[in-house]
Amino acid sequence: MNTRAVIDVSELPHHDFDTYDPVWWGNNLLLAIETSMFAILIATYFYLRQNFDLWPPPVAQLTATLRPLPQLLYGTFNTILLVLSCGPMILTDLAARRGNRAVCQIGLIICVLCGLTALVLRSLEYSAMYFRWDSNAYGSAVWFLLGMHHLHLLVLTSESVLLLVWILRREFDMKHRVDIVTVAVYWYWVVAIWIVLYAIIYFTPRLG
Amino acid sequence: MSHKEPQKEDKARSARDQSGAGPPHSKEARVSVRSRNLVAPWSAAARRRFGPARSAPALEQSTITDEELAAAMQREKDELERTWARPTGVLGWLKDTDHKAIALRYIVTAFIFFILGGIEAALMRIQLAFPDNHFLNPDRYNQVFTVHGTTMMFLFAVPIMTALGIYFVPLMVGARDVAFPRLNLYGYYVYLIGGLLLYTGFLLNTGPDAGWFAYVPLSGPAYSPGKRVDIWAQMITFTEISALVGAVVVIGTVFKMRAPGMSLNRIPLFVWAQVVTSFMIIFAMPAVMLASSFLASDRLIDTHFFNPAEGGDAILYQHLFWFFGHPEVYIIFIPALGFISPIIITFSRRKIFGHVPLVLSLIATGFIGFGLWVHHMFATPIPQMGQSFFTAASMMISIPSGVQIFCWIATLWGAKLNLKTPLLFVLGFFGIFILGGLTGVMLASVPLDLQIHDTFFVVAHLHYVLIGGSVFPLFGAFYYWFPKWTGRLLSERAGRWNFWLMFIGFNLVFFPMHQLGLNGMPRRVYTYLPDSGWGTLNLIASIGAFVLASGVLVFIVNAVWAYRAGLVAGDNPWGGESLEWSISSPPPHYNFHNIPVVPGHYPLWQAAANATVVRGLSTTKRETLVTSVLDAQPELRFEIPGPSIWPLMVALATGVTFIVGIFTPWAFAVGAVLTLVTLTCWFFGDPNYENKPARDTGERKEVVSPRGGLQPKEV
Repeated sequence: MNTRAVIDVSELPHHDFDTYDPVWWGNNLLLAIETSMFAILIATYFYLRQNFDLWPPPVAQLTATLRPLPQLLYGTFNTILLVLSCGPMILTDLAARRGNRAVCQIGLIICVLCGLTALVLRSLEYSAMYFRWDSNAYGSAVWFLLGMHHLHLLVLTSESVLLLVWILRREFDMKHRVDIVTVAVYWYWVVAIWIVLYAIIYFTPRLG
Repeated sequence: MSHKEPQKEDKARSARDQSGAGPPHSKEARVSVRSRNLVAPWSAAARRRFGPARSAPALEQSTITDEELAAAMQREKDELERTWARPTGVLGWLKDTDHKAIALRYIVTAFIFFILGGIEAALMRIQLAFPDNHFLNPDRYNQVFTVHGTTMMFLFAVPIMTALGIYFVPLMVGARDVAFPRLNLYGYYVYLIGGLLLYTGFLLNTGPDAGWFAYVPLSGPAYSPGKRVDIWAQMITFTEISALVGAVVVIGTVFKMRAPGMSLNRIPLFVWAQVVTSFMIIFAMPAVMLASSFLASDRLIDTHFFNPAEGGDAILYQHLFWFFGHPEVYIIFIPALGFISPIIITFSRRKIFGHVPLVLSLIATGFIGFGLWVHHMFATPIPQMGQSFFTAASMMISIPSGVQIFCWIATLWGAKLNLKTPLLFVLGFFGIFILGGLTGVMLASVPLDLQIHDTFFVVAHLHYVLIGGSVFPLFGAFYYWFPKWTGRLLSERAGRWNFWLMFIGFNLVFFPMHQLGLNGMPRRVYTYLPDSGWGTLNLIASIGAFVLASGVLVFIVNAVWAYRAGLVAGDNPWGGESLEWSISSPPPHYNFHNIPVVPGHYPLWQAAANATVVRGLSTTKRETLVTSVLDAQPELRFEIPGPSIWPLMVALATGVTFIVGIFTPWAFAVGAVLTLVTLTCWFFGDPNYENKPARDTGERKEVVSPRGGLQPKEV
């Protein structure tokens, strides 16, 4: 009688967190794509700056020449809000790992509210700018930077809403716990990218 | 198992050890020490992670009879067949997520675009055959060469290379499907929409006409009014989404779904090439996405990225485009290198010389490929320091290419070659690609480049590297893997005609172009005057074009004939060594009945008579094994999503967004809503996996052997 050796996997779990799960890798590869996109976008911003004596370019008023530095109000509020939103997200992240459904639900609700507020603040920010996207190359670059980040905020918030609805209405299963941990990575990334963009958009023109 | 070939015993092994080369049908009749060790560390890891001990799987005497076991195995296969069945009907066809079906659709679609691009090339060669010809008018000629270049680069070369990866990566790493099958399906639909968009425009006389790289300011709003360039820009968006999706799918599959035993050092060279390409796509494609989005927004909503009057910069476009465009060449070329290695291994019937240098060369090419882009821009005001740097980098990249070619020659040297058509195409690759590489080293030198910039010399160079470097290996790959796709062999006789017609035709078309370029004939002119003296060489090139085309025609006839009446191939017609040859041709929907355990670099040549396999995956759910990134230790029984209509719907939403976006920016708002809605349905819609109560929990004991034998013997 022949025999054969086997590796019996029938007791392996279906899902696990972080590097174990293909979804985590898919999400991180997406973030690698988007990180290179932002890196090239930032390079574009500085490349275009070479064409200007003053960055941002001056706006000729009737009486005086105004240096229209980007206003700090909305951007700073948004930065504080996004950094603070990492708190509930970390709690949600940890609760998903422990399997604590209630904390996950509450944490995600807070995060979604933060995301929605950030979206509103970003919309207000556009109207407070001195330039439109079609004013000059500076305007185009800044609108594009803000717009791409805006898009990510929108996708992130929508994704969190979907997951929230799932764990409110359906099972709090392992698959969706892994999803929550994965969305948390996305959340931290969106915040981290924003901190970089905040420094670049608002402070590099002030440095000279 | 049913897929095993006739086994030979230790004789074969000792013969192999002495010769140092694996004859294709010999098997090393040993369960390698590594594969046995593999059980223990995993068990230890499993104990740490999943609680107290289970006894490590061991060889066990089965107590059931052969017949009982065979029947149990057949039941299992039938059940797998039902679980993995592809949906039927038109709707089912649209929902089908089987990676093999998607890959074949990609291949057929890309090949149709290859033929269309070839027809455009033929039109150009007819136009240029004689001086002062009026076959095409200048405007039509502009569209033809732009659509030809765009088609060949974006709709043929990149997708077909990805497609071979999507087909074979899961088979070579021993997975039952790719990591993200629905995403994969979405990628195909987006690609198809992009291709249809380009050709709809072309047929309506709205084909793009600013060259395949659409330089500003020519392609900007001032000099290209109308919708032609917009169609080009959005087509780029579609193909780039599709390529990115394909890259994520391939990397996810290779990192997490390799069969146990396939540690990092045992990954086949084909798969390495696909991984390196995928990483290059991830870091290069965002640049062209930005270039085409900036271009589209300059044209549609009056941004000023490339408008010098408002502080924009036309050279910025060239940087963004070529930061993608040069890696693009390697994105097309590296997968082809991945075809060459298995073909050489199989037809020289020995182990590859220098596995590690080959892998390192692929990775080095991937890195250096990002440091070359400025050599496309030597005719722009780049500082001399920059020029020197990029000259050095351009010359440096010939080092890893050289290492690979020498490794292959060393493998072929002195081997008893089985000179079948696939190998013939690889040998053709050597000749043509080396010539293209030599002109590449010449073009890397700034003074020479300035002289022949934008002449036919460049046209000759790029066709030598791209057709020689990619299309010849690709045709070799067609001959090599056609039996796996269809179960039938292509005709060898026709294959030889195909190769020689293509080889001679190719050199007839493109070799004279070197001289034409040196004589000063610029590219992209629709005609030339009789007293330029370019007539004879152009006529030779045009004749060559038809010889080349007849070679492709022979292939098409061969493929159609072989599909119906070719020789039946069997599982492993060439005596190949990688896992895709261990299963039937065409493969079953579930790929592998039992996920194999990989014993070495050459799994089939080294497989033991009753090789270790993985047991315990469900047969009633679409389960595959997820393993660790470095050592491929089993981690999860991962359930793969099945057929779904929502990838198509999301692709249509994407299509509406970008196509209607050519006409009104409001399309982006509408498209965002549509995309959100369809994605929500993707998330909540038909959860026909995971939460559906399983008919069985994946426990196989009852099915295989009612008396509890977990270790069945060979069927």
